Amino acid sequence: MNVNQKIATTLLTYRLRQLLVAVLSVTFGISMYVAMNSFMAGVNNIQTEITFTSMPHIKIYNELSAEITPILSGPEDPGAILMVNNQRNIRYTEGIKNADAIKKELSQMTPVVGVAAQVNQNVFIRNGVSKASATLSGIETLNENQVFNSSEYMVEGDLYELDRRSNGIILGTGLAQNIGVGMGATVYVSNSEGMSKAFKVIGLIETGANAADRSRALVSIQTARQFFSKNRSYATDIMVSVRDYAKAASIAGDISGLTNYKVEAWQEGNSQLDAANLLRDILAISVSLTIMVVAGFGIYNIMNMTVNEKIREIAILKAMGFNGGDVIEIFLTQSVVIGFIGGLIGLVFGNIIIRIIDNIPFNIATLSTLPVDYRTSDYLLAFCFGMIITFLAGYLPARKASRIDPVEILRG
Amino acid sequence: MTALSVKQINKYFYKPVDFHVLKDISFEVEKGEFVAIMGKSGSGKSTLLYLLSTMDTDYEGSICMNGSTITGLKPDQLARYRNEHIGFVFQFHYLLPEFTVLDNVMLPALKLKKKSKEEIEHEAIRLLNLLDIKDQAPKVASKISGGQQQRVALARALINSPDIVMGDEPTGNLDSQNSQIVFDILRELARDEGQTIIAVTHDDEFAAKCDRIIELEDGELVS
Ligand SMILES: Nc1ncnc2c1ncn2[C@@H]1O[C@H](COP(=O)(O)OP(=O)(O)OP(=O)(O)O)[C@@H](O)[C@H]1O
Ligand SMILES: [Mg+2]
Repeated sequence: MNVNQKIATTLLTYRLRQLLVAVLSVTFGISMYVAMNSFMAGVNNIQTEITFTSMPHIKIYNELSAEITPILSGPEDPGAILMVNNQRNIRYTEGIKNADAIKKELSQMTPVVGVAAQVNQNVFIRNGVSKASATLSGIETLNENQVFNSSEYMVEGDLYELDRRSNGIILGTGLAQNIGVGMGATVYVSNSEGMSKAFKVIGLIETGANAADRSRALVSIQTARQFFSKNRSYATDIMVSVRDYAKAASIAGDISGLTNYKVEAWQEGNSQLDAANLLRDILAISVSLTIMVVAGFGIYNIMNMTVNEKIREIAILKAMGFNGGDVIEIFLTQSVVIGFIGGLIGLVFGNIIIRIIDNIPFNIATLSTLPVDYRTSDYLLAFCFGMIITFLAGYLPARKASRIDPVEILRG
Repeated sequence: MTALSVKQINKYFYKPVDFHVLKDISFEVEKGEFVAIMGKSGSGKSTLLYLLSTMDTDYEGSICMNGSTITGLKPDQLARYRNEHIGFVFQFHYLLPEFTVLDNVMLPALKLKKKSKEEIEHEAIRLLNLLDIKDQAPKVASKISGGQQQRVALARALINSPDIVMGDEPTGNLDSQNSQIVFDILRELARDEGQTIIAVTHDDEFAAKCDRIIELEDGELVS
């Protein structure tokens, strides 16, 4: 410890109460930064999680192309007029024909973590007189769980029961409520061709995404193929999940090289989700930075007061031969120490606050407590910002102290 | 050898009104000389001493110490020069109240960094012992008497064995016995160590024992 640091510590510890107030203002700023950002990250995570319980990162399907290919080429004779009435775009092939081959290729790509084929069709579900339209999804239970984590959202029953019972059906909780059925009830499902089949409700699922919960009915993929009289590797959609959902768009670009079917990343048509996440992050960072700047003003104020109070001591030090640089070091050391101690305590407090938030009951959607995320980067950033702000807040008063003219003060 | 040479010094105060404090002051002090500065209150003694101490740089004329001109040096160079070559006892004691007596004495030497901490502490204790306040060493500086503070300030001024020791009424708060002790110490330093002593005093008895008296009257040198 050099002499300037020794002087700094002596001055700092001489007024413990003032030191405590300064440290607390940093602690407050840093802990709020950590808490705000962890909470917002938690909210973002839950939002994405809910989104991706029914929406895949990437979806592959057969799209009816929008442009109409003319049936006849233009007439050879420029004087002739070509007229085609009631021209239409008719889809000859439905669904994805070579689903198995595409699945196999996809599962070999490194960023892909899950691939699930689905047979989706709009149907009517009846229970006595009450009926509702729904989307019947034939799913491969194992793969489905890999992509959507579906088994976690089962409120009642078991997802894999679908494989064992060809007349089993799992309903979204909203849908079940709509038609007034519960576990074990029998419902009738009719397709667009007018065929009807009885199913037994063997499970209820709730993902938290309301629209899906009100319209979804799950059966096994074989059952769906039979019901719609399709062949063995028929699928309407292939759902893909990737390691980092933010990169879905570029991965979708890679996949579209493999197939002629439409490859759609979640960002397409869902930019509001992306925007919401970003906005929440901006909000969290700006609010917490504001808090830190306010804390910085606190330190500035305290250091300024200290300099004014210690003006005689500064003059004496200068009279003894300490120069301007020494004085800056003495006062800057004080604020850096304050920032460091306050910062460390702030990190601990921030952690305690988010642990408390993590335990506050919040029974909406699939949540039971408020969501938070424990991220090391939040702590590192909070600490860095805290140190930078205390440094700046300490530098200005220190510079002022270094410019004090000792004779002015000592002459009295 | 000349320890201090002052040439044609003029000093003005502009606030609250224009005031010519020091007028055409010139004198020299030999190395090892013990000089007293006397004069009525308000004659400009403290003002002159602040100039000599290099802290006040707002004056006309020039000041040389040990052959080098200090007039016109930059603040950092002056700070360094003060630390190494000048010991100063202020008219009012001006210790650092948060620090112990011992720390107060040691600080200028810790800043100079010419000796190890142990040597400095040893030297500080020796000086405090000499001034009869060794028992006060561990106390906080704000908790000792005025006379004790004045002696601590003297110990602090002497810690770096400066070429020139300046005191603004260094015995102003002392009883005659302690006054005598301080005088004897300064006398000895001048004779044995060749240190130059310049002391402002109102005490005729103290002044009479010095090598020379410089007298100020309304900012002018009279003898
Ligand atoms: N900062 C200042 N601004 C204006 N005038 C000043 C200032 N300091 C001192 N003076 C004036 O300068 C003159 C000399 O003051 P100085 O302090 O040098 O006197 P002094 O001889 O030390 O007196 P004393 O024996 O009372 O200490 C006085 O008339 C005083 O009023
Ligand atoms: Mg005076």
